[in-house]
Amino acid sequence: MTAENDTEHGQPAEPEKDRELAEFAEERESLLRITFAPLTWALHFVLCYGTVSLACIKGLIPLPYTRAGLIAATGLALALIALIGWRAFVQWDVRRTGDFTNPEGHAEHRHQFLGHAGFLLAIISAIGVIYTGLPLFILASCK
Amino acid sequence: MPPAPCHRLSPPARALRALPLLLICAACEGRQSALDPAGEDAAVLLTLFTVMLIGAVILWLAMNGMFYGFTRVHRSQISKTTANSIVIGGGILLPTLLIGALLGWGLSILPDHQKPGDGLRIRVIGEQWWWRVEYWPEGADTPVISANEIRLPAGQRTEFTLTSDRVIHSFWIPALGGKMDMFPGRETTLSLKPEKPGVYRGQCAELCGASHAWMAFEAVVMPPGEFDAWLEQEAAGAQPAEGTEEGRDIFFREGCAACHTIRGTQAQGQVGPDLTHVGSRHSLGAGRLGVTMEEFAAFVTHTEDLKPEVRMPAYDHLSEDERAALAAYLKGLE
Repeated sequence: MTAENDTEHGQPAEPEKDRELAEFAEERESLLRITFAPLTWALHFVLCYGTVSLACIKGLIPLPYTRAGLIAATGLALALIALIGWRAFVQWDVRRTGDFTNPEGHAEHRHQFLGHAGFLLAIISAIGVIYTGLPLFILASCK
Repeated sequence: MPPAPCHRLSPPARALRALPLLLICAACEGRQSALDPAGEDAAVLLTLFTVMLIGAVILWLAMNGMFYGFTRVHRSQISKTTANSIVIGGGILLPTLLIGALLGWGLSILPDHQKPGDGLRIRVIGEQWWWRVEYWPEGADTPVISANEIRLPAGQRTEFTLTSDRVIHSFWIPALGGKMDMFPGRETTLSLKPEKPGVYRGQCAELCGASHAWMAFEAVVMPPGEFDAWLEQEAAGAQPAEGTEEGRDIFFREGCAACHTIRGTQAQGQVGPDLTHVGSRHSLGAGRLGVTMEEFAAFVTHTEDLKPEVRMPAYDHLSEDERAALAAYLKGLE
């Protein structure tokens, strides 16, 4: 496409391209962002199981420290997921648009849909972290 | 539409078709049933199972009821808000809370598996495919050795230390409590508190090779006084029955002593089960056969047929009389 043609249609080529690129950069980033909540869950899971193994099987860490540390890590993971979830909720923007499902594929809908997906993933990740952390509150020993 | 085949049957025939259901009910009872608990631990597990079963039935009925309702009865469109609340409430919130509650309950009863016992500790080692059993009464320096049978005092909590020789086994007496895996090179613990005296059946619950299905044992729950008397007798050496000298000679001539121990005799083998009081046990070959003379003779003669891949060779070259004499000797070791 030449600059002449674009001028004929009244649409300058370069700013349009920049805008699209900027938008796709934003989408790329939010596509990455929806993985953050499940990643936090996964890291919390590995941290919990790994630490408990070191404490209970190898006896490397004293049990009270293990428990307190992992309860703190659970709180931290939940706070992080809440933050990620809140950002995703804002991106979804359902309160303003009233549009739950974003069925059309244009840019704004894609943007909001990724927010929606990120928000739901944050919820399931929070549930996962709570279930993983539950034994820390109920069981006081390795047995 | 032709009537369903069931409608063509006469009433008695229809009743007959319900017979298999009775079989299902019958399976709930018996000496190897987790649904017929004879101890504190099994009762807790039964409650857990019952609650989950009833919950699952209610959920199943609700799910299918809704499916039926929305596809057959209430077929007009429902509002988006109603649909969303059903999906979010019934599909996300309810399962999260229910599973969370079950998880919390499960975790809260988990440590009970390893409650401290009242004194007696039993160490069980899983072999292929039998059980090496050591009784350690409180304060004992040496164990009382036995095999392929577990005896427990009723009303007392007994601790088990479990391990294995070569492969993973799992120790399970369904009527008395949950199961626990046995790992080579590692010790796991389990504690059981049987309440009702009786003879129950345990079974290896982890596939462990050719004769896994034949790796069982009898679990005898006795009143505490009787148990103490039995343990004292079990600790003593063998007292062969009179007139079984011929069988004893065959036992030593055939080299059985290389693998089996009979305390109080020259037989000190450690490869196979201890036979010091084999005649007083409730089963033979780790739950494989009963303990009649004929069954003793059959086990010695058809070992490989009865327990595939077992290390003991079949002594089928023995004559009829020799088998009978050997069986009489073993049966007499009470």
